[in-house]
Amino acid sequence: MSIGKDLLDVPFGDMIFSMANAIANSQRKLDAASLRTLRTLAGTKFDFIPEVTEVLTPKPLDPVDIGGGQTVTPTGVDIKVFPSPPIKLTLLQAGLVPQFYQFTESIIEVKISLSSKLDISHSSEVDIGLEVDTKVEAGGGLLSFFGGPSGSVTTSFSSHVNIKNSITYSYTAEGSSLLRTTLKPVPPPVRFMPRFITVNALVSPPTINTSE
Amino acid sequence: MAVQVYIVTLRGGYTPESSRDVQRFVRGTGGYILMVTRSGPIIAIDDSRAALVARNPLVDFLGPVTLNPSGVAADTLTRIFAENLSKQIDGGGGSPDPNR
Repeated sequence: MSIGKDLLDVPFGDMIFSMANAIANSQRKLDAASLRTLRTLAGTKFDFIPEVTEVLTPKPLDPVDIGGGQTVTPTGVDIKVFPSPPIKLTLLQAGLVPQFYQFTESIIEVKISLSSKLDISHSSEVDIGLEVDTKVEAGGGLLSFFGGPSGSVTTSFSSHVNIKNSITYSYTAEGSSLLRTTLKPVPPPVRFMPRFITVNALVSPPTINTSE
Repeated sequence: MAVQVYIVTLRGGYTPESSRDVQRFVRGTGGYILMVTRSGPIIAIDDSRAALVARNPLVDFLGPVTLNPSGVAADTLTRIFAENLSKQIDGGGGSPDPNR
């Protein structure tokens, strides 16, 4: 087994595809959430009072004794407030816009550490012990005539050999992966946001103001 | 720590009780109520705690928003946000006015 082959077996393509797929899915969900926010802002109205007129008129108060037989007359002020009629504005018209996010940079980092070790040891021990055991049996003659054994010689040898083989193979693989993405707030896409066209007919000639 | 502004919509629609409960919950998690609308409160809260609010059973949706300075009432919104925020930072305990 070669380490180079193991490195080639790492599914880099699948990992990058999975990462890209996850980022694309996340981006789609973020955009969907921003669009939902846009709908909420466009559907939430509040009473907007564009102008409040305050009229200040003098309103002298009762004289105050400051001692020594002297009095001071404080200058009071009467404030009359005239709010203009409220107009219904949506939060979007008022100036709240949904926040959009975008993945601007993604890094995938894979670290793999492979190591293999092969230990082969061989030892042999030959121990030859020679034992000769010879047995001579006499026979034949009249005995063999009556079915007895014939004469024979038996010799036996014995010896032993010790052989020890050991092969140790170790293989370790360690891996770690790191995914780092940068998510940045971006301005709303132009096509998502309505344009506000304000026609002010209070002045002559009417003015038209267009804002994004 | 990054504080972000969110609009909260309420599950089952707006009721004064549910709005108040959500506001209390937001304050309990370290957030601030910038404005209360008929959809739900507009809050400022740390990003890391926004998920807690989103998981509240009374909350339907939590959407991040930002202020467009060229909006018709951007200045007014800024003033309302600042007023309500100052009440909470000073510990005045004042509740933001509904529909403001």
